[in-house]
Amino acid sequence: MVGKLKQNLLLACLAISSATVFYLGRHALECHQRMERRGQPPRGDGAAAPPGTAAGSNRSRPYSKDMPLIFIGGVPRSGTTLMRAMLDAHPDVRCGEETRVIPRILAVKQMWARSSKEKIRLDEAGVTDEVLDSAMQAFLLEIIVKHGEPAPYLCNKDPFALKSLTYLARIFPNAKFLLMVRDGRASVHSMISRKVTIAGFDLNSYRDCLSKWNRAIETMYNQCVEVGFERCMLVHYEQLVLHPERWMRTLLKFLHIPWNQAVLHHEEMIGKAGGVSLSKVERSTDQVIKPVNVEALSKWVGKIPADVLQDMPVIAPMLAKLGYDPYANPPNYGKPDQKVVENTRRV
Amino acid sequence: MRVTTRRVLLLVGSVAALMVTLHLGQQVLECQQVLSERRHRLMRPENEELVMVDANHVEYRYSKDMPLIFIGGVPRSGTTLMRAMLDAHPEVRCGEETRIIPRVLAMRQAWSKSGREKMRLDEAGVTDQVLDAAMQAFILEVIAKHGEPARYLCNKDPFTLKSSVYLSRLFPNSKFLLMVRDGRASVHSMITRKVTIAGFDLNSYRDCLTKWNKAIEVMYSQCLEIGRARCLPVYYEQLVLHPEQSMHNIMRFLDISWSDMVLHHEEHIGKPGGVSLSKIERSTDQVIKPVNMEALSKWIGHIPGDVLQDMAHIAPMLARLGYDPYANPPNYGHPDPLVVNNTHRVLKGDYKTPANLKGHLQVRARCTLRV
Repeated sequence: MVGKLKQNLLLACLAISSATVFYLGRHALECHQRMERRGQPPRGDGAAAPPGTAAGSNRSRPYSKDMPLIFIGGVPRSGTTLMRAMLDAHPDVRCGEETRVIPRILAVKQMWARSSKEKIRLDEAGVTDEVLDSAMQAFLLEIIVKHGEPAPYLCNKDPFALKSLTYLARIFPNAKFLLMVRDGRASVHSMISRKVTIAGFDLNSYRDCLSKWNRAIETMYNQCVEVGFERCMLVHYEQLVLHPERWMRTLLKFLHIPWNQAVLHHEEMIGKAGGVSLSKVERSTDQVIKPVNVEALSKWVGKIPADVLQDMPVIAPMLAKLGYDPYANPPNYGKPDQKVVENTRRV
Repeated sequence: MRVTTRRVLLLVGSVAALMVTLHLGQQVLECQQVLSERRHRLMRPENEELVMVDANHVEYRYSKDMPLIFIGGVPRSGTTLMRAMLDAHPEVRCGEETRIIPRVLAMRQAWSKSGREKMRLDEAGVTDQVLDAAMQAFILEVIAKHGEPARYLCNKDPFTLKSSVYLSRLFPNSKFLLMVRDGRASVHSMITRKVTIAGFDLNSYRDCLTKWNKAIEVMYSQCLEIGRARCLPVYYEQLVLHPEQSMHNIMRFLDISWSDMVLHHEEHIGKPGGVSLSKIERSTDQVIKPVNMEALSKWIGHIPGDVLQDMAHIAPMLARLGYDPYANPPNYGHPDPLVVNNTHRVLKGDYKTPANLKGHLQVRARCTLRV
């Protein structure tokens, strides 16, 4: 009796240990693969990897507030993730996932500066604008630099960070900005139908979402205009998906980054080293793994309540200002390039 | 046990399996470590250290490994006096409350407290390591740049000591001074002087004492966790009754050489290398005076009877910290002659708030009845 128990126990132990070995072995293999991909020979003795043995980015890169950062933003559901994914596909650029904390600290900083009472108190404490700016630069840089792989051009995509566009432009004097602009009706339809929670947007009301969209894009647009065309570029989502090559060329020229064909095939670089790193909790991940396509352009047609459609130019005057006809359902965004037609068919 | 071939084989097999498992596990750990090291070595800040130059062109280099001093405690516990006395030391600079350091610490705590949010942040590559680096950078910039450079930098924001364990990790050579005071006196002070503190209902002694208890409990337990070598509780009453002895003890704890100036902070107000005060801080009018006993027992007779009765129940930390909850007041001790002398001069009216330190809040406070 006892013998049988002992045998069963032993069998169980063996099963568990072989499972562990299998799991660890797979993990070790994955890890080694990742290391090899980055050009480093796997080291089992714990010694620090020597620099200079891998191809490309192994030299220590200095980072500072004067580096050429790229900030991508806009109202959520405006193609911000697509934009950063396409740039991520470029071997010299790394954007990475939304940091989530950057817009929060920027908002808090803005609150401190806006309240005149608080500003006086802070000045009295020696915490002047200069000190705050240094601290913000330091914080933001650490997050941007360290949350992803190194690269010659670092970029950050947090949609609402561009509510502080002018401030960012001041504390990072060589930074450039890409403001994603999209037909508000499409953005709002997307957030409502996909139930994407955004602070301040009432997902039960197209009217409320459209007026919040209007206020948000107005703030960001004005700041983009304020910093000027040499530092901030408006990117219309519709134009980006209809004519990706033309727009990516314009974009890269604006950013002073050399052209690379990879930006037109971001879907081939998902999860690869030097490619596009996606987060499983971000809401656009399932869309951005597909190639550039026109699926999402006019999904909103027929979904907006009639009374809202009637009041459209009053609810969302920014539509007209950005070039979208508030009464056209939908406006004619344009005809897609051949490649995009193929992609959409494939998708 | 019979030694059969089967048994031997089994033994050998399991030992081999164990060794393989250990080896693989070790490899995985090292591999992960090297990967993360590599990533961080590939980008380095252009300026590894913060460099500040003072009025005499002396250069100071600051980094996360510098010996920072953090002073805190529940507000109205002598935190400003403590930092003023240290400020009087020629090599130390604390300066005013930054106000923002406790706020970012609170934000940081909120981000990691929610399991869901932590998972989202990890998915984004914003791991604890990354957040900690950002916090170190932010806090250092604020501490280093909001006041004059000095060999030893110190920061006084009362509620930062709610995160003292975290700070002790971020700044491995930092030390902490936790100001401890009889909760009844602190609460009386905030109520009579109408010092707004988030979460404290200034209309209720009972509520304030409960909140005091909660706050000091958190701070005290973290202080204990950090350990005596790095966190020192400083009793306000003892500091005020025996300043010389207390300060010698504190300077020894901080490993900073003695200077008599720390016993005469009132002579260095507003001077370079001395004590910089903010006109909007609530203790400014008190801290311009020399160390005195004015504030020790002002609370006597002001706490409602029902609260006095339930004192031990409302504020168990009183007893834990050594204050008799039923003694009104406890015998804090006998003052040094220096302090007796100072108190005489203060009561005579020798120390008036200079015009440049009078904030409009001070003027308003003068109109309320001060007991």
